Amino acid sequence: MTDFRARFWLNLLVALAGIVLFALVPSVFNRGVVFLAGLVAINVVFALSWNLLFAGVGLLSFGQAMFYAGGAYMMAVLSLHVPGMPFLLALLVGALTGGAIAFVFGVVALRRASGTYFAILTLAFAELVHIVITKTNFLGRNDGLVGIRRPVVDLGFTEINLGSGNTYYYFLIVAMAVAAFALWCLQNSPAGRLMQAIRQDPVRAAFLGADVQSWKLIAFIVSGCFAGFSGAVLAPWVQIVSPEIAHWSLSTQPILFSLLGGTGSFWGPALGAVLFGVMDYGTRNLQGLADLTVGLLLLAVVLAIPGGITGLLSRAFARRRIGAKQTAKLANGEKAS
Amino acid sequence: MLDIGLTIFNGLSWGMATFLVAAGLTLIFGILHILNFAHGGFFMIGAYLSYTVMASIGGGLPVWLYILVALAAGIAVALMGILVDMVIFRRLRGVEDAYVLIATYALLLVCIGAVQLVWGLNFMSVMPPPALNSAFFIGDLIMPTYTLFVIICGVLVFVGLEVFMSFTHTGQLIRVVAMDSWMARLLGLDVKRIYLITVVISFALAGLAGGLLSANQSLSPELGGVFLLQAFAVVVVGGMGSIRGAFLAAILLGLIESFGSVFFPQYPGIYYLIALAVILLVRPQGLLGREQTA
Repeated sequence: MTDFRARFWLNLLVALAGIVLFALVPSVFNRGVVFLAGLVAINVVFALSWNLLFAGVGLLSFGQAMFYAGGAYMMAVLSLHVPGMPFLLALLVGALTGGAIAFVFGVVALRRASGTYFAILTLAFAELVHIVITKTNFLGRNDGLVGIRRPVVDLGFTEINLGSGNTYYYFLIVAMAVAAFALWCLQNSPAGRLMQAIRQDPVRAAFLGADVQSWKLIAFIVSGCFAGFSGAVLAPWVQIVSPEIAHWSLSTQPILFSLLGGTGSFWGPALGAVLFGVMDYGTRNLQGLADLTVGLLLLAVVLAIPGGITGLLSRAFARRRIGAKQTAKLANGEKAS
Repeated sequence: MLDIGLTIFNGLSWGMATFLVAAGLTLIFGILHILNFAHGGFFMIGAYLSYTVMASIGGGLPVWLYILVALAAGIAVALMGILVDMVIFRRLRGVEDAYVLIATYALLLVCIGAVQLVWGLNFMSVMPPPALNSAFFIGDLIMPTYTLFVIICGVLVFVGLEVFMSFTHTGQLIRVVAMDSWMARLLGLDVKRIYLITVVISFALAGLAGGLLSANQSLSPELGGVFLLQAFAVVVVGGMGSIRGAFLAAILLGLIESFGSVFFPQYPGIYYLIALAVILLVRPQGLLGREQTA
């Protein structure tokens, strides 16, 4: 397992490099870009949570926004009605809210449905959550909830005031890096391996004694927790939650990020989220062009490079390696003859 | 007191409007096994196209002209269907389901973006023809003529499709391919051409639905998504690929939605989704779906 240890440190390094890169943003760019960078960091975990399902157990979720909105709304409600609650506990509750929603709907959606049916069911359930939010007074109906505070966190030995300056931004990127790395550890744990076996061949996995349905449900709940966590961190960052974050167009965001970056590699969705943020920033003033470019780009990715950018890169590397091996072989062959 | 007549009428109205959109959706799924997200987008384009034509003609259209415009929108969208089939759908054969879904979703985004570019983000509305802007009275029951018109259109489209699939040569060929495309190819049928015909019909139905329903609501780039979700529910409940199933499911879900909104008016728009979940749990293949479509 020395290989595993090497990969563990390498990926930890990737997460740390992510923190450093994001932490440099406020010193180089203006406040608007910092705000956007925060959203991108949140999207990274949101996208990774989706890919845990897609690349992990082979489930296509079209309803990821319901977990995200669940976490964000829980955070908002706690911030407005239970102001005394420790912030980190509130984050945890937000994440668990996403998981709870995933549990309730997952039991229904996973019992019989699979493939396309599963995608449609998740889409329908997310819309259900969306409509319930827009019609419930307690959740602010269409107006959403405003005035979410960035509180002071008591760590026991020291206090951090998240309300001042860019403190919440730094907190956010560290939280997202920790979540992303936790997801990496999960995917490379024995449980993660088992999930991959289930995706590759559910029948054989069941034959080997894996409880396929339970593992799918567990993956769904964990994915819901991480999506809920990213939503919970989002709420104090944007300081307003509105029903749009439960809309199905938001459910498709992590799909876009993941496919663009590549679902085959762990950091692919993260790369996609970052690239997407850059693109979004580039087309921010052009009405209608955003949807059009995103649509055309996604179409091109699916039709031409289904592996996404990371898939393209790894294939290019593999080709070079094979090329090198072949030339080596040829050279050896020539010597032998 | 519950007005049963009105509730049923509202349910049928919901059902037939949704069926108009769902008909093309279920057709294309039955033959090509593509769940086409973009259907909502082309439905919307059909609505916008007929809006533009009607706005340039001016108000006070006779009903036959309104229908003619809707048919023209259907033909225009059908032409786009040819392009979509040749450029996109042909490349999706044999691709994993998930990627097919995502590709058609991407196409939906392209449609929405194109509509935003061409028509802008503002809401637009089409006045129904004057002849359809009144109401029938049967006892206490008030039935707007436009709603009645939509219900009749839904039934006509259903009957038309059934006749086409059962009695015309092309329709029969399409059913053969739906049953077993591999065997159809083996027997020398030009399956590629039949796929193309199916896509064209499906897109024509989307455009036609857009034209017919354009007077029913304010047009905005959101329009595609709203109807798409309802149509998905109808297609899934009916049994994917079954036109008869979609028709039954449209009526059933319409009634459930309508009665649900009467009994629990607080959350309109969620009852058909709940029904979708319950029905799928009991009958995963849908009302009239074949067993193996899982």
